[in-house]
Amino acid sequence: MSAPLLQVRELKVHFRRRTGWRRSASVVHAVDGVSFVLTRGTAFGLVGESGCGKTTTALALMQLVPVTSGSVELAGIDLTRLSGDALREQRRHLQMVFQDPYSSLNPRERAGNLVRAPLDLMRIDTPRARDERVANLFAAVGLRPEHRFLFPHQFSGGQRQRINIARALATNPALVVCDEPVSALDVAVRAQTLNLLRRLQLEMGLTYFFISHDIAVVAHLCDEVAVMYLGQIVEQAPRRAFFARPLHPYSRALIAAVPSMERGRQTARTRLEGDPPNPLEPPRGCRFAPRCPYAQSICQTTAPPLRAVDGATRAVACHFVDDSGRTLFVPFDHDRADASMADRFAARTIPN
Amino acid sequence: MSEPILEVTGLGVEFDSRRGNAAVLNDVGFTLAPGETLGLVGESGCGKSMTALAIMRLIPSPPGRITRGAIRFRGEDLLKVSEARMRAIRGKEISMIFQEPMTALNPVYTIGNQIIETIRLHLGLSGNTARTRAIEMLTAVGIPAPDRRIDEYPHQLSGGMRQRVMIAMALVCKPAVLIADEPTTALDVTVQAQILDLLQELQTTTGTAILLITHDMAVVARMADRVVVMYAGRNVEEGGATAVLERPSHPYSRGLIDCLPSIETGERPAYLPEIAGMVPSIWEHQPGCPFASRCSYVMDRCRSDMPPRFRTDAMRRVACWLCGDKVVQ
Repeated sequence: MSAPLLQVRELKVHFRRRTGWRRSASVVHAVDGVSFVLTRGTAFGLVGESGCGKTTTALALMQLVPVTSGSVELAGIDLTRLSGDALREQRRHLQMVFQDPYSSLNPRERAGNLVRAPLDLMRIDTPRARDERVANLFAAVGLRPEHRFLFPHQFSGGQRQRINIARALATNPALVVCDEPVSALDVAVRAQTLNLLRRLQLEMGLTYFFISHDIAVVAHLCDEVAVMYLGQIVEQAPRRAFFARPLHPYSRALIAAVPSMERGRQTARTRLEGDPPNPLEPPRGCRFAPRCPYAQSICQTTAPPLRAVDGATRAVACHFVDDSGRTLFVPFDHDRADASMADRFAARTIPN
Repeated sequence: MSEPILEVTGLGVEFDSRRGNAAVLNDVGFTLAPGETLGLVGESGCGKSMTALAIMRLIPSPPGRITRGAIRFRGEDLLKVSEARMRAIRGKEISMIFQEPMTALNPVYTIGNQIIETIRLHLGLSGNTARTRAIEMLTAVGIPAPDRRIDEYPHQLSGGMRQRVMIAMALVCKPAVLIADEPTTALDVTVQAQILDLLQELQTTTGTAILLITHDMAVVARMADRVVVMYAGRNVEEGGATAVLERPSHPYSRGLIDCLPSIETGERPAYLPEIAGMVPSIWEHQPGCPFASRCSYVMDRCRSDMPPRFRTDAMRRVACWLCGDKVVQ
């Protein structure tokens, strides 16, 4: 196991918001105490519904939103304490790919200039070497050299996302933050883009912080999975352990919601009703309790901390998971249904 | 099998543009039986939405033009009826929900206003009866506190709630056919599951036939009885949903299924199988199969001759030369 590239501790991003004239400002707890570690060369996936704080977490890593408290250490340097040139110097090492391939490219700049911009801004290499670097980047992401002279509107969505990826890789970053990079793409183009991200990771030794609401995409690309709900991480586990046996009721609901070829018309066992509650006034106890099918009285009053279970291989924030990683949900018939699914996983993962 | 309620045959649509004639639909044909769900699948630009707009007669003309084919609804050719008759059908007999519920709802009217407009026009109810009907409909689509929500504006609702309002509006007249154009693509997976469940539940109570347009084969697996796979403005494969998803005959259908990442396998492949290349341009008229340039099974014949739709079993039709020897008469 190599050294951690990024260490995030108790990250909080709160926004003050005035709800009306003369009313006192309320506080949106967008990210509320998130901690995790990214190992060099791996992909870390963060999943959750819209509004759970995934994107704010990504922006906080990039130092693009004011961090309320906590630290973000990139290779031992706390980014939250830096500003100005010192911060810009560090930004070389972390870059971002945005969700919307249409609005994240300046429509009045040619593709080649878009990819070259970070090099110019950070004064990397000589101008002549920059041209060469741009040409290499275009080749790396599967665009033709003449594409450098076209404008964004002349590209398809998938090609634009390739330009975005090339731009993010221009400064040769160690960490690439991908905020829903394939959500706006068609299935066929999505597969091409995911393959491109995987190939670049293997070739260049990149580390990904990967955000998606589609858990299947995370299952494909990521080595470590964290589930976020209302500003907090409720479960974190290595990919295989997570999908073989998700522990938190919310994780199970997220997985059950994904339509799949295998399940077909079978309806999900764990249906999630309603929308996530308002981050202005998060519930007092467990934040998931109002939507949780297994919620008991303790869940309404006491918030479960995120704690290590199953020999510290994974972490979960639920009152009804014991230290060995067993789930103690009532009623149990749901659990049996889930257990049979876990058996199916186990059956498939046994090596021959 | 009962008499189809909607029958589309040989539909062709062209658009005039500065670059010349763009053939958007070349040869689309399918039938929809009462109460069934038909999945219409394909990549962006393959003509799925254009087919839906053609059925609703909403293709802007000019520049668009339906060049050939017929759309028969209960035996009546929708391409020949008057605009007044079409207005009576649209929203009452055939209604539609769109991908992006924010742009499909009018932001300056309350959602109640918009639902009641449909009720007034098509059901002839007014005043309190119409309002009560609208509240009942909002209850049916699972909107909490409908008597309060009815006076809210679209921006006050979440994406999932807006899509529920769209569904309420589309189904309030109990239409015979509902066209759902990517109804969940803009939504989170959890909300997608809720909306798909809702559509299915409402279908069992109203008996509405659903034409479900999507690019996601997994959504088809979840919802559809039958499926039509479209490519470059024509249908390349048609058949029972389970059969097509389990044993796709056309290489393109196979590709669409294989490129989905799955959460159901313990061992993941390093790379997803992908469909190489891109959808052909709508301005290029090339002979032969439109998929030939991306197909891994391509033969000489594919580049010169357009494959007809071979009937490979009772329900399945495949436009691929590979299936030419498996034809069922």
